[in-house]
Amino acid sequence: MILSDYIHNKEHWLSRLDGRVKLLVTLIMLVMVLSYQGLAFHLLVTFLCLFLCWQMKIPGRVFLLRFSEPVFIVLVILFLKIFFSGGEGIFSTDIMGIRITAYREGLAEGISIAGRIIAAISVMAVMVFSTPFTELLAALSWLRVPKAFIEILMYAYRYIFVLIEDAGVIYDAQKNRLGYAAFNRRFSSFGVLVGSLILKAFEHSQNITVAMVQRGYDGNIPLFDQKPFRSSEVFVSLLFISMMGVVWTI
Amino acid sequence: MMNSTIKITFVALIFCSALLSADTVYAMHISEGILPFSWATLWFVMALPFVAYGLYSLNKRSREDLSFKPLVGLMAAVVFIISCMPIPVPFAGTCSHPCGTGISGILVGPAISVVITAVALLIQAILLAHGGLSTLGADIVSMGVMGSFAGYFTFRILRSVRVNIAVAGFMAGLFADWATYLMTSVELASGIKGEAAFLPLFWKVLIAFIPTQLPLGILEGAITAGMVVLLYKKRPDLLIKMRVIKPGEVTMQKQGMTALIVSFFIIGALLSAAIPAGAAKWTGVDEAVIEKVAKEHGREASEPLINMEQGDLPLFLFLVAGALGGFAAGYYWRVLITEKSPRVNGGKEVITKRK
Repeated sequence: MILSDYIHNKEHWLSRLDGRVKLLVTLIMLVMVLSYQGLAFHLLVTFLCLFLCWQMKIPGRVFLLRFSEPVFIVLVILFLKIFFSGGEGIFSTDIMGIRITAYREGLAEGISIAGRIIAAISVMAVMVFSTPFTELLAALSWLRVPKAFIEILMYAYRYIFVLIEDAGVIYDAQKNRLGYAAFNRRFSSFGVLVGSLILKAFEHSQNITVAMVQRGYDGNIPLFDQKPFRSSEVFVSLLFISMMGVVWTI
Repeated sequence: MMNSTIKITFVALIFCSALLSADTVYAMHISEGILPFSWATLWFVMALPFVAYGLYSLNKRSREDLSFKPLVGLMAAVVFIISCMPIPVPFAGTCSHPCGTGISGILVGPAISVVITAVALLIQAILLAHGGLSTLGADIVSMGVMGSFAGYFTFRILRSVRVNIAVAGFMAGLFADWATYLMTSVELASGIKGEAAFLPLFWKVLIAFIPTQLPLGILEGAITAGMVVLLYKKRPDLLIKMRVIKPGEVTMQKQGMTALIVSFFIIGALLSAAIPAGAAKWTGVDEAVIEKVAKEHGREASEPLINMEQGDLPLFLFLVAGALGGFAAGYYWRVLITEKSPRVNGGKEVITKRK
């Protein structure tokens, strides 16, 4: 799942769009989704985004994994709102002597929040499944996100995979020596594993610095060159945003 | 009042069962879309000064040490991995994940730890849909600001009174985790309350977190202590470089631990001396509220099935406890009393128990 950004469909027309345009459209769509009071716009956005994901041929497992956590949270929030918020009851029942009432206002609010979450997750899914991470970094850099932040993002993204591999090796070694056999050993092994990861991080950072200094590193990494925008992409995006804006106001 | 208590208990039970049915719960981050626009913006505004100060500190320190930026990037990768690792939580019968902000706060300071958390959260939001872009501000405030600052200050305060590094690490991890969940509850309740009152919903959310997060906080404390001790044993030079310990402190501060235990005993003794005097004036909440209300409604409390205030039962239980305690103390007396002595083995100093 961690490699989900490699799953993007390079042949799809969305993948060929400029990352900056996609990021801006995503941010505007998120603002619209979050500020909309109702359900129709959320349903439209969700349907549109799920259709695009289906068109991009995203594997079902990756798609389900991405949506599993938000769906769990949606269920929890629905439960909280329906049974603990509102005045007018829809139905009541006795469970173990406790009277439980479902409220109409809570149901309406819960569905509205659930729609908002699913729509926002769908918007993000389309952007992620159509954009490589490095292109997103370039777009963030164009949005004037501080350079130091982008640099840290680059290092972190690069070394997540290296450290996961290191963690796998240590975990296998611990497991082979019954490090996870008993309850208390499990946590002591986990502590050693994470401590070892930090030690590895220190070692890697020293090695990277030596290697980079030898190649002229002076504390700053030159970031991405930006190409000029394609007018057709900008026009189509503005048209799309305007159309969605019209639906949002209805 | 009673109705509200029953409801809160009920929601906690339902959440326990919900957690029992889930294999892995990523409850740390607030998901995309949960917060309405106004609340999402507010948390972004609150997070920005901390991130800005963190970036300022990062640039300042990286001018002194060229390896600092790569190190912070790698720490972000470590925090990313730690907060993706599901660990089993006893009692809740589920999995959750630690924050990792306690250790990053201890190692690089709270300001830079906020940047580390922001980076880890952004990558998680993009790659794993774990958290979100719109809720990034809220997640930075709960996990980055609250977690890092709670962890850092707990560690620093305990170390300044010469508490053992392992105990300080444990407490830092514990408070970093609990502070994160306290803030997450505030954010979640304020974001989803709608027209309802804030406080009742806040308590419901907080209680819902307790079955998982109370034990998880203790586990995170243990894991943080394990990490700090490992670094202390294997690479004390790194802790000195990161200004976690001073160059002179390369031996464990046993007297700090002793001072902590003694202070706990003194506080306990003072409390036990003070409480009976005050407690005599007041009746307990069970008698004052529950039993009184039940009596008014014709349901008078009956005698307990096992009445500890009658007969020799307490004496018998004390006898059993004394026998077990005496047996345990006798069995482990060498471990308690005999000091550990260093022994040289192949040119390398190792610590072994004296036989």
